[in-house]
Amino acid sequence: MSDKKQFSYDTDREIYSAARVRALEALLIEKGVISDKTVHKVLGYFEKEMGPFNGAKIVARAWIDPAFKSRLLKDATSAIAEMKLPAGMAGAEGEHMKVAENSQKVHNVIICTLCSCYPWPTLGLPPYWFKDPTFRARMAREPRAVLKEFGLDLDPSVEIKLWDSSAQIRWFVLPERPAGTEGMSEEKLASLLTPEAMMGVAKVAA
Amino acid sequence: MKLQHRLGGIEGLGPIEFQKRVFVESWEKRIFGIHVAMMGLSNHLGESLPKYPISKVPTAFKSFWTWGHLRVGAEAMNPFDYFKFRYYEKWLGGISGFFVSEGYITQEELDARTAVYLEDGNVNAAPLPSKPNEAIDKQVIKYLREGDSGKRETKAAPKFAVGDKIMIKDVPPEKHTRLPGHLRGKTGVVSEVYEGAYTYFFQTGDGIGTPMHCYAVAFKPEKIWGKAMSDPNSTFYADLFETYMTAA
Repeated sequence: MSDKKQFSYDTDREIYSAARVRALEALLIEKGVISDKTVHKVLGYFEKEMGPFNGAKIVARAWIDPAFKSRLLKDATSAIAEMKLPAGMAGAEGEHMKVAENSQKVHNVIICTLCSCYPWPTLGLPPYWFKDPTFRARMAREPRAVLKEFGLDLDPSVEIKLWDSSAQIRWFVLPERPAGTEGMSEEKLASLLTPEAMMGVAKVAA
Repeated sequence: MKLQHRLGGIEGLGPIEFQKRVFVESWEKRIFGIHVAMMGLSNHLGESLPKYPISKVPTAFKSFWTWGHLRVGAEAMNPFDYFKFRYYEKWLGGISGFFVSEGYITQEELDARTAVYLEDGNVNAAPLPSKPNEAIDKQVIKYLREGDSGKRETKAAPKFAVGDKIMIKDVPPEKHTRLPGHLRGKTGVVSEVYEGAYTYFFQTGDGIGTPMHCYAVAFKPEKIWGKAMSDPNSTFYADLFETYMTAA
């Protein structure tokens, strides 16, 4: 789908916002609220340390290690802490996480109808579609139609479970391991994962 | 209740933009970073679970700022305006308004500086003042790594158990609520009782804030939307604070 409809505004609007946020950041730096590197360091944290690449490693491990998978489903925070991932896997927006497992019979989808709650340490920052009011409104009531629009046509026999993050748990999905990946390394398996698969709007392709 | 309190289920909206990027304009990254910095420097963090040494951090920021505060701003918007602005445009409006109303900056200096950058033209690459402060950066990253858990010990027994049929109360949302509008007055079944109790960043007018039990509750979609408007073979789960629930 093109970027042109909902997420493109005329240049004046964008230039104004860009100048506004630049002005705000400059004033906050001058007044000693933040430093000249604070925003840069925050962004670097999400680019390099906390992103969907962590979730991908966790899912790949769960696919090859059934004992790890059962610990992950029971207590995601402690199971994730076993892995060699960056410090902060139970940090901001990941203090209390849960994992919903897909199967041939059940397909899980995470949503946040009130805002944009999302497990930062495992999935990073949420894509725009997840924050979009139209998605939040429609997925709640007509998940099959929305998934179909996203390219995922589920059999009517598959039960859809929607998880609305309205309190303190941050959810992500453990997708099904695709056929034809027997013997693949953990690293190779991790490379198959997408944020969308770990949010429940896509399947994993081999 | 406002429209933004009950987005779930609105009809007639048309297709969704499957925009996979996190930021669609580079300026959006900056307001995101500022919001995270505010959360990581918030004056309440001295009392949070990691007991951050926040009073010793050499920042001019002395306010209380959390997700809750950002959400209060979004929920205070005119409901129709809420849909006119993109996600980070709402953040930019709310956060710059906060810094003005708390007296960190004046509207005049914000407008004047905005005008300077507008004149400059190549705004996203325009230089920022040089003023390092590693102690601030260290605290913000420490906050990201250690978080601000709302989980607390409790001696109180949960009011509900797995399998209990419950009804969702219809309490006035006041300035801020964590109760999705489409669940108000609906019945569901407790599917999980979360261990411990959960506080919220502050006391809300609708009853969360003091540590209380939280639950996952399963709703049959036909109980929420009616059979004709529901997807068959689906279940709607919501995580809910105990104060929103009553026995059914």
